[in-house]
Amino acid sequence: MTTKNELCADIGYLSINHAGENLCGDHVEKVETDDSLVIVLADGLGSGVKASILSTLTSKIISTMIAAGLKLEDCVETIAATLPVCSVRGVAYSTFTIIRIVENKRAEIIQYDNPKVILLRDGENVEYPVERLEIGGKRITKADIQLKEGDIFIAMSDGVEHAGVGIIYNFGWKRSDIIEFMKTFIPVGFTAKTLTKILLDECDRLYDGKPGDDATVCTVKIRSRMPVNLMFGPPAKREDNDIMMSQFFEKDGKRIICGGTTSTIAANYLKKQLIPKLEYLDPEVPPMAEIEGVDLVTEGVITISRVLEYAKDYLKDNDKYEKWSCGRDGASRIARMLFEDATDVNFFVGRAVNPAHQNPDLPITFNIKMRLVEELSDCLGKMGKKVNVTYF
Amino acid sequence: MMMKITVCIGSSCHLKGSREVVEGLQKLIADNGLKDKIELAGTFCLGQCQTGVNVLVGDERYSVTPETVTSFFEKDVLPKLG
Repeated sequence: MTTKNELCADIGYLSINHAGENLCGDHVEKVETDDSLVIVLADGLGSGVKASILSTLTSKIISTMIAAGLKLEDCVETIAATLPVCSVRGVAYSTFTIIRIVENKRAEIIQYDNPKVILLRDGENVEYPVERLEIGGKRITKADIQLKEGDIFIAMSDGVEHAGVGIIYNFGWKRSDIIEFMKTFIPVGFTAKTLTKILLDECDRLYDGKPGDDATVCTVKIRSRMPVNLMFGPPAKREDNDIMMSQFFEKDGKRIICGGTTSTIAANYLKKQLIPKLEYLDPEVPPMAEIEGVDLVTEGVITISRVLEYAKDYLKDNDKYEKWSCGRDGASRIARMLFEDATDVNFFVGRAVNPAHQNPDLPITFNIKMRLVEELSDCLGKMGKKVNVTYF
Repeated sequence: MMMKITVCIGSSCHLKGSREVVEGLQKLIADNGLKDKIELAGTFCLGQCQTGVNVLVGDERYSVTPETVTSFFEKDVLPKLG
């Protein structure tokens, strides 16, 4: 979404499946256009393959149509006419929640069944007004909310509210319980993805690890933009050193420099001292260094390889979160700055070949370095960051 | 006079065992009660990756491995302290 103001949306979603099912009957789709962002969370009737098809079709159709600027009525009618009818129950059924963020200024929330989207503002629950509509025989609610920095929207399928039915709670945990649970995590400043994971982990716990329904959470966090600039490797031509450095240092936002030679060049450019540390905060990640005026200085390939490992995991189950979220080593710090702080990531990548590294026994050759950058920028793109890569 | 030992912690030397060399030297310095005689520091790439782990004693460069760190300390460091 093109920036229209200082705000942007950080989005994270995850599902857990009905016990014994390989497919999830819930589905989330996200579509971005020039001025808006559309997220659809659909919950297909039942579970397994059939539910999965229903919810995938529903979310795909709605997100595509809404993003193309079509009227809500048309979208809902299309859904009703398209969905295959369940032979057992005689209905075509998939409930949905649409969150449409326009110009990062306001959010439209349109829901057909599904638990009402929770809005946490300044750490408190806000019960926003909804308008009730009837479209194609379906009762739909619609809300229009002016966005404020720090707003957190939590959309979910009913499997979230039903967690714990008959196990820990008689009737599942209520919306108010979910709100109270989530409120405690807001001051920490977690990302949308992490908040999502926290809520789903709690559901899974309430279900005793055997969910009786598919459960999906999609969190949208409204935050201000934060660019992070990362320089990795010296330029292919020595005479480009100053161009690379000046472009890197004139950017707004935080600065990370990866690589020994690169940091030496940067220190010379800034006429500051490069002070390497000898602390091994993680035995496998080389120590960091310090340059006044640079937020973080680390070794190159080995550190970035670890960051990439964390990035891939973050996009999947986020199991390594505990490792990088509090680690003090270079890779953990880069991970936090890129995954949590950044909304925009600018890579400044030097294509110099370090002759000493071109040894087939070493896992740090030029090709590996270039591949690391490509894969990492791909992962960051999937996290919803605006990524820009410049080669020198 | 304080002696300075600098260990390369660049990518290549790291893979060849800088951490073990650093830890070995830290222990040897402590065990021999030389903390006020030897300053241990790190440096990024010295441009001699083939011979890593590169260690400087003053300005003189040595090639050390985790296995040779003790003999290096006894042969090349202790005598220089005089």
